[in-house]
Amino acid sequence: MRKLISVLTTTLLPLSALMAQDGGSDFMRSIGKIYVVVAVIIAIFVGIVLFLIYLDRKLTKLEDQINEHD
Amino acid sequence: MVKHWWKALGVLIIIYTFIAGMLVPLRPGIVDVVPSSIRTGEEVKVEVKGYNSNFEKAQDSLRAWLKMDNDRALAASRIEVKNDQELTATFNVPEYLPINSKVKDFSVIIDNEIDGASVLPSGVFITQDSIDPEMGQAVWRNSKIDKLHDKEQVTFPFRNILSETIRNTYFHVPLWFAMVFIFLGGVIYSALYLRTNDPKFDDRAQALTSVGILYGILGLITGAIWAKNTWGAYWSWDVKQNMTAVALLIYAAYFILRASFEDPERTSRISAVYNLFAFAALIPLIYVIPRMTDSLHPGAGGNPAFGGEDLDNTMRMVFYPAIIGWTLIGLWIASLQYRTNRLRAKLLDIDSETSLQGAMLDRLK
Repeated sequence: MRKLISVLTTTLLPLSALMAQDGGSDFMRSIGKIYVVVAVIIAIFVGIVLFLIYLDRKLTKLEDQINEHD
Repeated sequence: MVKHWWKALGVLIIIYTFIAGMLVPLRPGIVDVVPSSIRTGEEVKVEVKGYNSNFEKAQDSLRAWLKMDNDRALAASRIEVKNDQELTATFNVPEYLPINSKVKDFSVIIDNEIDGASVLPSGVFITQDSIDPEMGQAVWRNSKIDKLHDKEQVTFPFRNILSETIRNTYFHVPLWFAMVFIFLGGVIYSALYLRTNDPKFDDRAQALTSVGILYGILGLITGAIWAKNTWGAYWSWDVKQNMTAVALLIYAAYFILRASFEDPERTSRISAVYNLFAFAALIPLIYVIPRMTDSLHPGAGGNPAFGGEDLDNTMRMVFYPAIIGWTLIGLWIASLQYRTNRLRAKLLDIDSETSLQGAMLDRLK
């Protein structure tokens, strides 16, 4: 869980810094602010993928343990 | 395959909410009006910027008003159309207004047969030099706002600051609703664990709670992105933002607690009790306190929760399925986490059994 949080912050903070730039905010507010919706969807997708990576690692560890038993 | 129908259902619902949520257009609206402040006794040209509008195509049926209140409005004397999104309306503003104040806000209303009626509330402020309601009454030439058209297409409401981001209602808000359902599931399993001492229930509670935290973090991040472009800052120290952050910190402590005990049975017992506490804290933090004070979120400061133009019936057809869809997807992810937890518990059992056997064998030697 701690790993997950650190991964989340390290990936999403630079992303948000990028969007906070002046040009970025113009871009975010163009075409009726539709890119805000796009950014929200991407954030959800990235978050779920990171959680899947965390689960994947956990399962890999268990598989290794099972292999050691055999 | 039969066993997995709810996962497929969740995916289908989410796909539906993505397609409907992104493709249904916004109702035409008014983005901007220049100038926004007018003096009395002038003939003013007001430039109106529309959104998703068809000013040019519907030129013949175009009408415009400055609306003072429910009974009184000024009609535009002339409308020149530049293109589908831009027009200039000319208003003859009388010398005096039939009211008792110096400044009055007027809503700008544009109507045509394709777009229907669009409104910019308080779009124009009219200032009069001296107040004389009787004179105002005498020179006022009222025109009734009637025979407004309806937009026939299926649309989402146009809200001035939100614009297209009103679609985030299907992505940001359902995460929170789903989070509460998933946390509720977690707390039920924690209670069941305390009654039965079956470690399976604790594993289920842990799995559900971790997905709840994931949804909560995503809810905060998506909310921050939305807030940056509508309220002006990622974090406005809004009461709902603060309280949800506190609630998530309380839940984060659940995992720190779990990691700090060696004995698995003790971990399960203490974290189950803590989970009951965390859920009991969550409900007032996100449902009660934010409604007691002013907040940027809808549904605060005594306002009814969602309603009217923030969530109309078309939006409900996407919003409610989105809640169900995200809850099902969350349950699916939680089930993966649960199976991982079970697998580890089984391995630990085997480990402890073999080490026990090993110890006994050692002693026999």
